[in-house]
Amino acid sequence: MAELTKTIEGVTAAFNRDAVVARTHGEPEWLRERRLAAWRVYEETPLPTAQLEEWRYTDVSQLALDQVHLAEPDAADASGARAELEGKAAAGRVVQVNASVVETWLDESLKAKGVLLLDLATAAREHPELVREHLATQAVPAEAGKFAALNAALWTGGVFLYVPRGVRIEEPIRVVRWIDRAGIAVLPRTLIIADEGSHVAYVDEFRSPDLDGPSLSCGAVEVFARDGADVQYVALQLWGKGVRHLAMQKTIARRDANLDTLVVNLGASVARVDLGAWLAGPGARSDMLGLYFATGDQHFDHNTRQDHVVPHATSDLLYKGALYDRAKTVFRGIIRVHPKAQRTDAYQTNRNLLLSPDAEAVTLPNLEIEADDVRCSHGATVGQLDEEELFYLMSRGLTRQQAERLVIFGFFGEVLDRLPLPGVVEELRAAIGERIA
Amino acid sequence: MPQNETIEGLGLDTYKYGFVTKDKPVFKAQRGLNEEVVRQISAHKEEPEWMLQFRLKALEIYRSKPMPTWGGDLSQLDAVLDDLYYYIKPAEQMQYSWDDVPPEIKETFERLGIPEAERRVLAGVGAQYESEMVYHSLKQEWEEKGVIFESIENGLKLYPDLFREHFGTVVPPGDNKFAALNSAVWSGGSFVYIPKGVKVEIPLQAYFRVNAEQLGQFERTLIIADEGSHAHYIEGCTAPVYSTDSFHSGVIEIIVKKGARFRYTTIQNWSKNMYNLVTQRALVHEDAHMEWIDGNLGSKLTMKYPSCYLVGKGAHGQILSIGYAGDGQHQDTGGKVIHAAPHTTSQIISKSISKGTGRASYRGLVKVYEGATGAKSNVECDALLINDTSRTDTFPYIEIEEHTANVGHEASVSKIGEEQLFYLMSRGLSEDEAAAMVVRGFIEPIAKELPLEYAVELNRLIELEMEGSVG
Repeated sequence: MAELTKTIEGVTAAFNRDAVVARTHGEPEWLRERRLAAWRVYEETPLPTAQLEEWRYTDVSQLALDQVHLAEPDAADASGARAELEGKAAAGRVVQVNASVVETWLDESLKAKGVLLLDLATAAREHPELVREHLATQAVPAEAGKFAALNAALWTGGVFLYVPRGVRIEEPIRVVRWIDRAGIAVLPRTLIIADEGSHVAYVDEFRSPDLDGPSLSCGAVEVFARDGADVQYVALQLWGKGVRHLAMQKTIARRDANLDTLVVNLGASVARVDLGAWLAGPGARSDMLGLYFATGDQHFDHNTRQDHVVPHATSDLLYKGALYDRAKTVFRGIIRVHPKAQRTDAYQTNRNLLLSPDAEAVTLPNLEIEADDVRCSHGATVGQLDEEELFYLMSRGLTRQQAERLVIFGFFGEVLDRLPLPGVVEELRAAIGERIA
Repeated sequence: MPQNETIEGLGLDTYKYGFVTKDKPVFKAQRGLNEEVVRQISAHKEEPEWMLQFRLKALEIYRSKPMPTWGGDLSQLDAVLDDLYYYIKPAEQMQYSWDDVPPEIKETFERLGIPEAERRVLAGVGAQYESEMVYHSLKQEWEEKGVIFESIENGLKLYPDLFREHFGTVVPPGDNKFAALNSAVWSGGSFVYIPKGVKVEIPLQAYFRVNAEQLGQFERTLIIADEGSHAHYIEGCTAPVYSTDSFHSGVIEIIVKKGARFRYTTIQNWSKNMYNLVTQRALVHEDAHMEWIDGNLGSKLTMKYPSCYLVGKGAHGQILSIGYAGDGQHQDTGGKVIHAAPHTTSQIISKSISKGTGRASYRGLVKVYEGATGAKSNVECDALLINDTSRTDTFPYIEIEEHTANVGHEASVSKIGEEQLFYLMSRGLSEDEAAAMVVRGFIEPIAKELPLEYAVELNRLIELEMEGSVG
């Protein structure tokens, strides 16, 4: 009866309705309904194809969706993940291994001030008044696309952070996500709410050893900065070989809020990231920073949006990448100034260093402007290292390779220098230095 | 001056080409498109069998391709295309002297100033009315040097081998839906050949006029600039204002051989009820230069991206694009450059102005294939917004496979600066004059590349359009 077993795109042994139902055990009714509604969206949404402008340069088959099964919460070895956070100053820590949150720690003085740092399932039970309104509703709802729906239906683990009004957290909140084997799919989800006038920095690390086959991380990050809040969100993607990294990240900045993001892509076999900044209040500002360094057969596809929906907001994007070997990177960015968003300042810059004969860089910086009193510009370049700079360094005794790496390091420095978190920047420098050495 | 220069209520009072001529076409195909219409067109042109087959195959391709979903709003286009006349033959045959052109058609071109310009500044003129060229002439001096400047139909008749060798090679029918449509029903346009080493110092011009309501004009131009030659070709376009929409879809193929330089200038000033979907492409060989100067002022919707395929070492492509989108207009324009050979260079400069509810979009591609060592390309797009209902977009595609290539793209969007206006007004200019001056300054880098009379016309248009536009 072939007609009765019509296949639905993207429904696999891992991703199906039974798996969604299994996830809902012990969860509040509203969350169960939300997961099932998201699953219906997933079923109704076809898999993206190259016909879709936003998926023109990444083939869904690269994600190996049918070669993974859902990671179930289990007692995996967390020592590798824990080691990554050792010795790093932190106000709070969360460690997730595969599908399980294995550690959640928050400074007692912050707990006393009402800061919440919990795994997301616990937060959904204990703080529905905050989670229900924000989880997969405004920032990364199921309707945002096939994989947003997949995450909204099947997320596990996940982190919830709430910073109450006026609370300023000095050290960063640190989260590490670890995958320890090939053949699994993890669907992490992060929800950050910074209430009025609060301050927090959040560093999300994605790490694993090199794997001998594909694993999938399909993650969603939602960040809300209420009036006057100051938030930095940093994602350091250092997955090992084999990992397919799908990330959907959206920030919503209200009046006079400052909401910066830095996304560093160094690892994984394939990384496809959707990054949106929604400027929702006058005086809001978002800096969107990005770095990528791709070697071997790595394929990175960045899809950014800067949406200005109200007057008097600012966004400034700077993404820089370097490519070696047969790597391919895509940067696709849109500045969208909606009607009435007068006095918008919005900028976008993408710079690429193409360093091997078989590497390929694609850059598509787009502007869609529907208000007239704006300052908007974008620039994109693809080029090489400056031979004179290399010559100078080599004349000082460096090998060509050392000289190249030093110049690339300086090229990335312009991005790191714009992140107002000196301690984190030093760590990132070290991680990048290790990767490009 | 024609009395219907001002057409009340349409907001088109600055469009002085909107007059209608009463004429007597010698043949008018039925409305709509089918195989019979294609056969009629071919029969009227007494074409060889291979061309009929080419047309019929293209018709199949056209029917098999979906309507594009990007670019401008084409949702109403199917209805427009169903009601169109695909072929109106204006006169029994093309003439080489204005005296032999039917008087009412000659009168039309007199009003557009074509014969006068020909006497003064042009090497040759082609004039197309509805579906065919009614007049084509080349000054004797250039004829003697072996320059060919003919209607496309005469090109096929008189130079069958040269024609067949190149026709459809730069823009094959399968390239896109509207190139396929043009390939099926093409009519009119020019056939140009510039012999080796010949430098035609003053421009050749083709002028395209649509007079009938609901006509589809499908001109096809084939240009071959042989090794070391130089030439400049200008096309201008206008049409009357009707309440129904018209359609224009040209295909321009240019082959620029080794060391040749060719410049193609378009001043598109169709009435604001025209869909203008054009494919323009040049194949640029070793050390050759191709320049597109593309001015889009009229039409309801234009989708046009002049392209340079740099296939020979050291080839250079340049695209200067200027778009003006007034109320209800959408100019979706830009350019494409494909670097497929070493040491090729290119530049795209685009300037657009959006006013009222107008929308100007830049859409472009720079592609560098692996092996195009040392390729360099630079793209600059600037957009000026006049009102808070105006819209502008920038959609550049940059695909680089060659690691010795250097490619840059920059774009900016701004409104007329209050400080600029204030300064100019403090020097005694009215606000409108000041605004017009800022706009003229903005487009100056491109306007200065236009032939003088077009530059003057552009300036005049801007002054009219800027009246009462700010404040």
